[in-house]
Amino acid sequence: MVAPRTQVAVPALEAHGLAKRFGDALVLDHVDFALAPGEIHALLGENGAGKSTLMNILTGLYSPEAGHVRVGGVAAAIRSPGEALALGIGMVHQHFRLAAAFTGRENVRLATGNLPALRGRGRTDAALDHALARTGLEVPLDVPVGDLSVADQQRIEILKALSLGARILILDEPTAVLTDQEGDRLLAMVRRLASSGTSVVLITHKLREVLAASDRVSVMRAGRMVLAARGVDEVSAEILAEAMIGQDAPATLRSPSPPGAVLLELAGVSVLRRGAAAVRDVHLSLRSGQIMGIAGVGGNGQQELAEAIVGLRRLETGQVRLAGADMTGRSVDQRRGAGMRYVPSDRSTQALAPDASVNDNLAAAAVSRGRLGRRMLLPRYIRAHARGRIEAFSIAGVTARGTRPVRLLSGGNAQKVVLARELDAEARLIVVHSPTRGLDVAACRYVHDQLIEAAKNGAAVLLISEDLEEILALSDDIRAMSRGQLSTPTSERPSRREIGQMMLGHA
Amino acid sequence: MSFVEAWLASFPGFMAPLLLAALGLILCERAGVLNLGAEGIMAVGAMTGAVASLSGVGPLSALGLGAGAGLLVALPFILAVVVLRAAQIPAGLALVALGLGASAALGRDHTHKPFDGLGAMPGPALLEDLPLIGGMLFAQDALVYASLMAAMGLWWYLQRTQTGLRLRAVGEDTATADAAGVDVQFQQLAALVPGCLLIGLAGAYLSVAGSQIWTEGMVAGRGWIAVALVVFARWSPLRAIVGATLFGAAEALIPRLQTLGLDVPVYILSMTPYVLTIAVLVLFARPGRLRGNEPGALGRPYIRQDR
Amino acid sequence: MLERITLERRAGAGPVRQTAAYTGSLVMAIALSLGVLVAAGVPIGALYQELVVQVFLAPTGQAQTLTAATPMLLVGLSAALCLRLKFWNIGLEGQLLLGGIFATGVALTDLGGPVRLALMLIASAIGGALWIAAPLLLRLRLGVSEVIVTLMMTNIAYLLLQHLLFGAFGDPTYNFPSSPAFDDAERLPRLGFGSVHLGLVIALAAVAAVAWISYRTPFGFASRFAGHNPEAARTVGFNTTWIIVVSVLAAGALSGLAGGIIVAGTEFRLSQQIGLHATFNGIVIAALARNEPLWIVPVSLLIAGLTVASASLKVFYGVSEGVVLIIQGIILFCLVAGQFLTTYRVSLTPIEAVR
Repeated sequence: MVAPRTQVAVPALEAHGLAKRFGDALVLDHVDFALAPGEIHALLGENGAGKSTLMNILTGLYSPEAGHVRVGGVAAAIRSPGEALALGIGMVHQHFRLAAAFTGRENVRLATGNLPALRGRGRTDAALDHALARTGLEVPLDVPVGDLSVADQQRIEILKALSLGARILILDEPTAVLTDQEGDRLLAMVRRLASSGTSVVLITHKLREVLAASDRVSVMRAGRMVLAARGVDEVSAEILAEAMIGQDAPATLRSPSPPGAVLLELAGVSVLRRGAAAVRDVHLSLRSGQIMGIAGVGGNGQQELAEAIVGLRRLETGQVRLAGADMTGRSVDQRRGAGMRYVPSDRSTQALAPDASVNDNLAAAAVSRGRLGRRMLLPRYIRAHARGRIEAFSIAGVTARGTRPVRLLSGGNAQKVVLARELDAEARLIVVHSPTRGLDVAACRYVHDQLIEAAKNGAAVLLISEDLEEILALSDDIRAMSRGQLSTPTSERPSRREIGQMMLGHA
Repeated sequence: MSFVEAWLASFPGFMAPLLLAALGLILCERAGVLNLGAEGIMAVGAMTGAVASLSGVGPLSALGLGAGAGLLVALPFILAVVVLRAAQIPAGLALVALGLGASAALGRDHTHKPFDGLGAMPGPALLEDLPLIGGMLFAQDALVYASLMAAMGLWWYLQRTQTGLRLRAVGEDTATADAAGVDVQFQQLAALVPGCLLIGLAGAYLSVAGSQIWTEGMVAGRGWIAVALVVFARWSPLRAIVGATLFGAAEALIPRLQTLGLDVPVYILSMTPYVLTIAVLVLFARPGRLRGNEPGALGRPYIRQDR
Repeated sequence: MLERITLERRAGAGPVRQTAAYTGSLVMAIALSLGVLVAAGVPIGALYQELVVQVFLAPTGQAQTLTAATPMLLVGLSAALCLRLKFWNIGLEGQLLLGGIFATGVALTDLGGPVRLALMLIASAIGGALWIAAPLLLRLRLGVSEVIVTLMMTNIAYLLLQHLLFGAFGDPTYNFPSSPAFDDAERLPRLGFGSVHLGLVIALAAVAAVAWISYRTPFGFASRFAGHNPEAARTVGFNTTWIIVVSVLAAGALSGLAGGIIVAGTEFRLSQQIGLHATFNGIVIAALARNEPLWIVPVSLLIAGLTVASASLKVFYGVSEGVVLIIQGIILFCLVAGQFLTTYRVSLTPIEAVR
């Protein structure tokens, strides 16, 4: 397993000093990366650490602002995915690029048909047969892909990449969608591929995989390569977790408040998403005046949990109680009436009607509960209500009468509109999901202050976030979510490392 | 000729235009473009075919001109939908208005003037005289046979060729097709141009081979039937043959029943294509057990950002 | 080269850009329409006379325009209610026909005695609502696209109309397929201005009611909010299913009422002509009015004026009736194409920037 590392062969792929900037943010800060021939190289990092940006540069989707890439020792400019393929670099994305109504064979043909070398059905089929032989995979190829399991779809994606002639295979979180058994089979197959000379980049969150399945590991954090190409026998789970998450944080922003009465109780809550379990048997209880942070890598069931609590998603099993009253069968409206509030993660699709005015967006929740009139709703009621909220939350960029559409506001002010609507005097439980995503520092600070203020006034806040800093700074109590399950740390003030391991499903 | 024999001999003439129009629509919709404008395109095709015939052009050229005129009137629709990514439903309705209006305005001086159009292909007399099915199988015009071959050809193209695969990919999952390096706009144009030509040809057939006269409103909803037929056939050219045969046979049968003096509710019977189409939609509504086959990206304007 | 030109969805266009796009498409549509009229043989000098003076300024023309606008107000309103919620009702004509059929049914069976006229109009509204209930149910329960179903239902309605005209509702003494003429008690009273009848008041009242509900009630607020973003509407606690059910049924009822008002107000009998192009008219009007109830009024008058003008253009300049359809097609095309300017941003940046 250690053999390839010691070879002094020409790297299959080398990157030097790659930098990329989006707007003001330097998302890739002069990163070096080297992939040896026939090795499995794990790339670790939190969301937003820069792994995807790096891979997107290597597959020709982005072009770097600085730095250069060599493939097989030869300088290469990769300007498009097609050029990456021509150089033998193939990627299997986390979200498969397969047409569900097409069979596996058709999907492979669709991709290979554009390569001059593979034009013609005979040649495509030969390439596919060769890929099947190399991997030893058995996949139904003549069934619509949509009817296949996720594991089979992934196999087709890999076969597609190999049929296209990939000698360097980038797998983006391949096991995130698989069961443990399927994951093990996949990793075994990847090992076979590597021993036949294919170089593999394995992007993952799971430490177990890194240690068990790869030859070398690199870790990225905040756009930098913090741990470069170490052999797996040189590292431990602790070292990797610390490299990913960073040093222990400064003290929290606020002193824990005296806990009030239990407000929210979840008992055995399970939720389905498209037929698959997204939230599994979650129990928690939250007191008024308390902020509970739920850390986790995105897509581990946080969205579904939040929606289930506020009534936007049906529970498969379990119960949601608010101040002792069973809310399980209640509508969103009834739950709001009982004091539940929700700040969704995606402002423009879930929280706001971007084309409607600031006034209307601010008044919507009050209108739905008949607060501004049950039969008659006069515009001046809406204006008066909105004006109060605009002042209280000092929302900027609104015209005098508040008729400006919300979409013309900045991200921070749009989020203030959501907060101003949700954090009213009657709010008792506030479910907040990634409230500072995409906001600048001042706006983040503002959002945090508002949440602290709400808790001080006796509301319970459930803060779901991928931003560990935020969780650590605000929460009285911390949980981590991984693959739909909630885990509780051993101590009241867990270390970053412990939370990191919990997030990665390793605790 | 017996009643049944005469009916059997006449229905292919009703089937062919429905089939041609449905094939054109299948091309458009398989590339993801919902074209509600068939009625308008067919009207222009029918009018042009008639006017061309009246001015002494041969039937085949008249059919060609009708098809070309159909494409011409559809050009604003094609540009709006492919290049400007316009909303396809109102653009299709606008095309219907444009086509019906243009055919009425331009064909005004040519209505109710009969001409000699496309006749039956000369076939072996022996076969034509076969009892019952001789007339149906062997005494038809060239386009009846051509439309059947076109259906099989289109099936082969869509299912068995690389370009057909790309076209279907665009209609099925545009983002995936784009990611696989398919030129989405080019594929849509490559589907819409022949598609609208076929629909125009279907219209021309109505006047040049069918009525051999132009009257306003003679398309009489066949464009809409074709839209329904595509749903009924679940976007398959081969099933479209079955559907067109069924719908065409019904269309041929109903007036005949009336002339027989039978007291049948003809208009209620005429509803069957529409009721059947709704029934097919309902039957295939639930994904899973039954495959609806509707192109996944039908009617959705695509830009690369959506990927 | 095409790869270099990339499109992005705009996060949103400001009021200036929106107004510019709208006026731009309108100017384009008018210019093209006038071009079509001139090409069809109308002298340029006569355009003002025919399109403005004769239909909007001369009293007889005004009366004709108001009469023609009456059903258009209702179908425009109906289309706006559905389009606002992105429910693609392209079967306005079918709902209108059912309205006409139901009203005629009441009239021919002499139901209701003194309140027969009111009963006719109520029946027409019920007929339209029933006809849209099927596609609504199929969409909500089975996810079936309403586009095809409303279309099919229109064809079925037209055949039903013919079945009745050649059968149960037919007038054997009349050469054309039509029902017997209505009694006086079954006709909407004239208002003393040409052929303008009570239906105009009803239609305007409907516009006022829809406008009032839209802007002065919680339900209207909810339906506008859900029209902008249904997901956000659910988040704040609105019941979006209920909103769609009520709005779409109301839209069907309005289309049906239009049919009832045509038979009871202008035709005084059921015939094959009553449904003429209601779907185009409705959608063109709603699109021009941008689904705003009060804007329906001027826009309906505009389209009605065009229809009335076409009648005289036909007589004096031999312009085909088809020209009105062409112009409607042009208007719709221009509006739809104009959306491009507010929806997308064209840029010439390299590919990576749009991913």
